[in-house]
Amino acid sequence: MEARFLRARDGTYRWHLIRAVPVRDAEGNILRFVGTSTDVHDWRQDQEALRNTQCEFAHTTRVTMMGELTASIAHEVNQPLGAMVTSAAAGARWLATEPPEMDKARRAFERIANDGTRAAEVIRRIRALMKRQAPIKEWLDINETILEVLALTQYQLHRSEILLETRLGHDLPLVRGDRVQLQQVLLNLIINAIEAMSGIREGPRELTIVSAAGGPDTVSVEVSDSGTGLAPEQAPHLFEPFYTTKAEGLGIGLSISRSIVEAHGGRLSAAANTPYGTVFLFRCRSTNRPRSGVSSWSGSELSSLSSTMIHRCAGR
Amino acid sequence: MRGALEDLVSTVGLEVRAFATPQEFLQSKPSDAPGCLVLDVRLPGMSGLTFQKELAKEGLGLPVIFITGHGDIPMSVRAMKAGAVEFLTKPFQDQDLLDAIHTAIERDRKRRREAVRLGELRERFATLTERERQIMTLVVIGRANKQIAAELSLSEMTVKVHRGQVMRKMHAGSLPELVRMADRLGEPIATS
Repeated sequence: MEARFLRARDGTYRWHLIRAVPVRDAEGNILRFVGTSTDVHDWRQDQEALRNTQCEFAHTTRVTMMGELTASIAHEVNQPLGAMVTSAAAGARWLATEPPEMDKARRAFERIANDGTRAAEVIRRIRALMKRQAPIKEWLDINETILEVLALTQYQLHRSEILLETRLGHDLPLVRGDRVQLQQVLLNLIINAIEAMSGIREGPRELTIVSAAGGPDTVSVEVSDSGTGLAPEQAPHLFEPFYTTKAEGLGIGLSISRSIVEAHGGRLSAAANTPYGTVFLFRCRSTNRPRSGVSSWSGSELSSLSSTMIHRCAGR
Repeated sequence: MRGALEDLVSTVGLEVRAFATPQEFLQSKPSDAPGCLVLDVRLPGMSGLTFQKELAKEGLGLPVIFITGHGDIPMSVRAMKAGAVEFLTKPFQDQDLLDAIHTAIERDRKRRREAVRLGELRERFATLTERERQIMTLVVIGRANKQIAAELSLSEMTVKVHRGQVMRKMHAGSLPELVRMADRLGEPIATS
């Protein structure tokens, strides 16, 4: 057990790792405890600093990636706005007919309200991706996470004349993870796929995203493209930091993606797609938790829970 | 956006059909009524400009109106050169779109009428005999009966009779009218 209750000589609290075993007599009554207390304060702080750096690094790549999606994002916001303007014009016209077409006008206004909500939702999602925050683990519907990312990349796909196919499994178990980080992985894979296909002149440009239950407690997501594919000598280095095949790439995206997936207890791997292109597969740990009545636990709730436990133990 | 457009166009009493993808449109039964296509420059799987080209290749010469989120000048120039009626940037004035649609439908009506007339002309031309076609070809390039007779080793009288048949079968009231018909027929005349 770890606790921060021992004071150092200067009066500050420091983290200690405390281990103890009871010493019992022949009847099993506890006579006394024998234990150790190790000061792990510096080690913990290093760990935390490392986590912070990783988090910051992930954030920086995420923001860079969002920069590449500016056109897509503008389009994603513009689309509902344009629809709202058109619906408003249609609504006004229905009201101006003699007699006014009230039902049709009402439907136009409903559309406006829906589109307005949609625009606000897009902005909310983008803000979430741009924000720098510590990972928050919650129960996620992986399909929902995929669709949110696709909404942001739709335009980029259109612009590159890429056909999107999604085969999302039904009733998949929920995945425990940080929404923003998993979306970052997906965004990274999708942007890579778009770039891999931008160079090809002939043949189809297809992006396929498949989600499925990969065994009793995993959910797998496959992102495959029909792009240039991987050269055999590239494959082993793909996830290495600073390894890149792109002229302007930094070689950070995939290595961060892999560490994110691993932090989620999963694996990220790449393979050749047939007849051409690349498939990226990532698996995430999930549970058999029923989908209904799911409460999402935020990180702060969890840490406050464990700290109350610590206090209780310490108080004994 | 599709729903909003569908609704806007129906406010002026036009019949609208909405398609999510170019494929969906191609698989649908084409309408017999004059019409036009309103296309987003970005379509799923294919750019609107490519689709416009494909349609023209298939002989589906429906007039096209483009709408776009952020069209640049080269893009609009390409679209207009390929025969687009209008290139509108979102958000556009509803009246602009409706005006463009009316213009486009009018253009399509003319095109269809023209196509019907051309069909009739072709049918008439098909009723001509080999000899009559030969003579029509020579007549429309301005040869006199005498020259034609010499060229085809026929009597001038025979040429005259054939020529009269051509005029009657083609429903041509005068030589200039026959020339215009030949002009519109174009290809089949040249190959005969």
